[in-house]
Order: sequence, then structure tokens, then C-alpha cells
Amino acid sequence: MARILIVEDEALIAMMLEDIVTDLGHDPVGPMMRLQPALAAAEREDFDFAILDINLAGQQSFPVADCLIRRGIPFIFASGYGRAGLAGDYARIPILQKPYDPGQVAAMIASRAAGA
Amino acid sequence: MTQTADPFSFLGHDGPVARLIKGFAWGNTPLGRVETWPQSLKTAAALLIHSPVPMVMLWGEDGVMIYNDAYSVFAGARHPALLGSNVRDGWPEVADFNDHVMKVGLAGGTLAYQDQELTLHRKGHPEQVWMNLDYSPVPDESGRPAGVIAIVVETTDRVLAERRNREEFQRLQSLFVQAPTFMAMVSGSDHRFTLVNPEYRKLIGGRDVMGLPAREALPEVGDQGFFDLLDHVFTSGEAVKRSSQRILLKWRDQGPLEERFLDFVYQPIRDEDGTVAHIFVQGSDVTERVRGENHQRLLINELNHRVKNTLAAVQSIVGQTLRHAATPREAASAITARIMALSGAHDVLTRERWDGADLRALVESAVHPFRNPGPDAFRLDGPEMRVGPYAAISIALALHELGTNAVKYGALSAPGGTVQVRWTVADRDFRLEWIETGGPPVIPSDRRGFGSRLILQVLPDQLQGRADMDHRPTGIAFTLTTSVEAVSDQPA
Repeated sequence: MARILIVEDEALIAMMLEDIVTDLGHDPVGPMMRLQPALAAAEREDFDFAILDINLAGQQSFPVADCLIRRGIPFIFASGYGRAGLAGDYARIPILQKPYDPGQVAAMIASRAAGA
Repeated sequence: MTQTADPFSFLGHDGPVARLIKGFAWGNTPLGRVETWPQSLKTAAALLIHSPVPMVMLWGEDGVMIYNDAYSVFAGARHPALLGSNVRDGWPEVADFNDHVMKVGLAGGTLAYQDQELTLHRKGHPEQVWMNLDYSPVPDESGRPAGVIAIVVETTDRVLAERRNREEFQRLQSLFVQAPTFMAMVSGSDHRFTLVNPEYRKLIGGRDVMGLPAREALPEVGDQGFFDLLDHVFTSGEAVKRSSQRILLKWRDQGPLEERFLDFVYQPIRDEDGTVAHIFVQGSDVTERVRGENHQRLLINELNHRVKNTLAAVQSIVGQTLRHAATPREAASAITARIMALSGAHDVLTRERWDGADLRALVESAVHPFRNPGPDAFRLDGPEMRVGPYAAISIALALHELGTNAVKYGALSAPGGTVQVRWTVADRDFRLEWIETGGPPVIPSDRRGFGSRLILQVLPDQLQGRADMDHRPTGIAFTLTTSVEAVSDQPA
């Protein structure tokens, strides 16, 4: 069981991610739905993994990603856009595509948490 | 009778015209019989009859014509009648011209014309011809001019060819000037501008670059690869073609460079020995097209994003509704109602191009399914204001859940019950209230279903505010308090 930070701007989708994560036997942290609270949580909260929506109400969540990279906490991006616009350090981060396949979420958490 | 010697032996020639001269009845002309001809006339006649250049002699005041074989070809159908005739009669269409020639020549003067344009009737119809004409006097034994000798070289073919070339050049030049595409010619290894059309000048912001090397003329383009490409074309001799190539050009003395997109060709032009001497630059400014394509790509990406997000939202509604529903029938109707609520919020947003939504229109849309056909149970009260697209969807879904609850258990489950939806803005604080009155008392439920989770947990999280549910004896009262920034989707 891992503590998983959920950063997602849309209420319905955030609720679903919470359910998916809970169903997988993990403990959701959040959801954080705007950049500032997400950044504060990424800096302060204690968690093992994060699912990070790239677009937070029109703002990109890359500062949160940078914080997670700095803290060495594994994470995946979530997006409806696909890989477009992901470069540099972010290019190697897996992307979870919307709508979500819980099996894929489980596999991504497992492989990223194992340090892959 | 002794054989008389040939009186025309002085000609020393037996060509077609010489034979005509020998057979001609000169006695009927002002020249008189050949036996009476002065030596000067004979010598001059012999001289011209041998010449391969078209020549004619106009002898005496009348200008009686004696000419050679080459001139007979020039004279066309006028030959042979022209031989021995007076020049003014022989060429009536240019009689004035020849009159002047005769006067000048017999006065000892010379005349020379280059590409003289004349209209001659050599073939029975008027014909525009050009000739180089050289006239000089022929002196008689006393040294006085007795005739005029003319060298007549027709230049019509050359003049017409030159005229065609000139017209062709002018056509090309006007094409070049009026072309809707930009064109320029750069010459030499430093690519000096030797031709620039108006469109090209427009492209480079109206600068005068004629005669300048490209790197000097357009310094801001130096590190953008275009001149390296010109170097490559110049050394390799291979044409290059590029599409939608981005370029930054200096259009103003100050401020940022202008971003344009170009389709263009660099075409090497070789000189006679085959080496590249010039490069023809031709192309179009396709900035508008490229921007349109980019905009379209952006729209398609955005659409794809919305579709994916909406699918995820529907996935969430279905998953969570099924989790909490008692029966499949209840689940089916709740899923439909929630998807309809989501769709209604989308409609309001689409009307405003997803920039945001008018809050009253959003509330109207959300409570619409719960309005009675009879007396209206809803009172909507609040200032005109806009909310952001993310906040709009959550608020619409929250109102839907409140409405569903009110119909099942609250004010709308009994006749006479009413709901007041009120929103206020005070300073930067935003407050939204849902106040039910006139319904049966509602007991707080400890069941955390989709609705209460959305209303009490996720909505305040999203809007960085507070949500309170008060179970009053008169009915429930729900209050959302947050900031104007949060409901506008603005970063706090």
C-alpha cells in the first residue's frame, strides 16, 4: 500500500482517480485541483507516488513535476493531450491517457514505484 | 560585215541581271544606247554587277536604275520591270524619299541610314521593311556627280527579331514586376542582389538591397541558415525547395523581428561555360496559411483533449453511480440524468466558446429538469457574473445533485416547497446558497454517495473554499463560499 498524491483539475475525474487508487489498495492524498495547493502538497506532504494532470485549469503543472523530481518521488503524467509538448526531463515520464484504464494505472504505479 | 564586238563586254559578267542589261533597249531611256555611255557609267555598272551586296545605281537626273543580282532578289516582283526605270517611277511608294536621295547625291553628298523603316509594295501589297541604306555620288569624267550608287541591305529580319526580343524582355520584366510571388536574382559567390521585384522588397520590409551582398543586405537573416543554403546552391549547382520555412525579418528599426513563413525555391542559373553565376530566388509568403494550419492543429488538439476529458468525466459518472446505486434501473436513470447535467453545462460553455459561462444561464440550465410545470418552485437571485469553465462544470453538477436530492427527499418532494438559489459577491468573496423551504424535515444521512462527496468534498477542494450543509427544520441549506478568483478559474 502506497500513499498516492492525486493532482487533477476536474472534479469528476479527480473523484474517479481517488476511487481507482483506493480500489487498487492505495491511500489517496488530495485530490489537489489547482497549481498552488498541488505545489504546496508536493513540497510538504508525505507520499510515495503521484499522478499529475499536466493542465491545471489552464496552468501547466510542470513546477509540481520539478518538485517531485527534486524530491525523487516517482510520478506519472495524466493528460488528454498525449505527449505533445513534453520535452527534456519530462520526456521520459510515462503518460496516463484519459479516459483511464485502472489496469494501466496499476501497472504504471507498480513499474514506476519499482524505480523503472 | 565584220562581227561587231559585244558592247557590254565591259560588264565582264554573265549573271541573270547582266543578261537582262545586255538585252535591254537602253535607247528608250535617258541613258541612251550603250555605245553612247560614258566610261564612268560603264565602270560603275561593272563594279556593282560583280558585287554580292545588293546595289543599285541611279543615273542622271531621272535616276535610271541599274542593279545587280542581289538587288533583284531584294526587289521581289518589281524585278525585272524595275531595271532601266526611273527610280521615282520604279518605287512610287517611296518617291519622296528617293527624290531627296537624288538631290543630295547629285549635289555630291552622301547619305547613310541604319534600319530605315520603309513601306514597299514588292509583292503587290504594302510591306513594312527595314534597311541599311548607303548612298554616295558617282562622278562622271569631269568629276561632277552624274549618278548615285546605293548599297541596300535589308535588315527586316534582324529588326523584327530584335523587336520580338525586346517585347519578350518587357513581358518578362512586367511579369517579374507584377508577379504575385517574390522574386530576386543574386549573383556571384557573395550573392549580390541584381534583381528584386516589388513583392520581394515588400517581404524584406521595403529595404533597398540592389547591389548589396545578401549577408550585408539582410543581416538579421545571417544565422537563420538561408545564406548557407545559397552557398550550397552556388557551389553544388543543385536547386533547393523549401516549404513553410520560418524566417525572422527586420520590418522596423525597433521592436521584435517579424515572423514569416515562406515557400521558396533557389534555382541556380549557369553562364555559357556551365558554372553557376546567379541564383534565382522565387517564392511566396505563406504566413497566413501556416498560421491557419497551426490554429487548426491547435483546435483539433483542443477538441481531442475535450473529447478525452469528457469521456473520462462520463467514465467517472458511470463508475461512481454504479458503485452506489441500489438497482440497475436506478443506476441507469441516475447516469442519464448526470450525463444530461454535464451536457447542459457544456452547452452553456459552448455558447461562450468555452471561455466561461454566465452564472445565471448556468444555474437556469442546471435546475431546468426540476422545474414543475405548475407554479415555479425556484427563485434565482444574484448579480450578473461569469464563472470559469472548470468551476462551471462542477457548480452545474453540484446543483444537479442538490436538485435530485430535493426532488427525492427535500422541498421539491412535496407540493408548495421552494428552492432559492442565491449568489453574492462581496469584495472578493463569492457565496452560493441553495436554500430549501416548505419540504419535509430532512434527516442528515451518513451515506457518502456521489452527490454528497462531490458537493461537500471535491467542489470546495476544487474551488479552494468551504462547503456547508445545514439541516434546518424548514429544509436543507447548502452554502459554498470561496473567492471570485477561484470561480473564475484564476490562480489564487
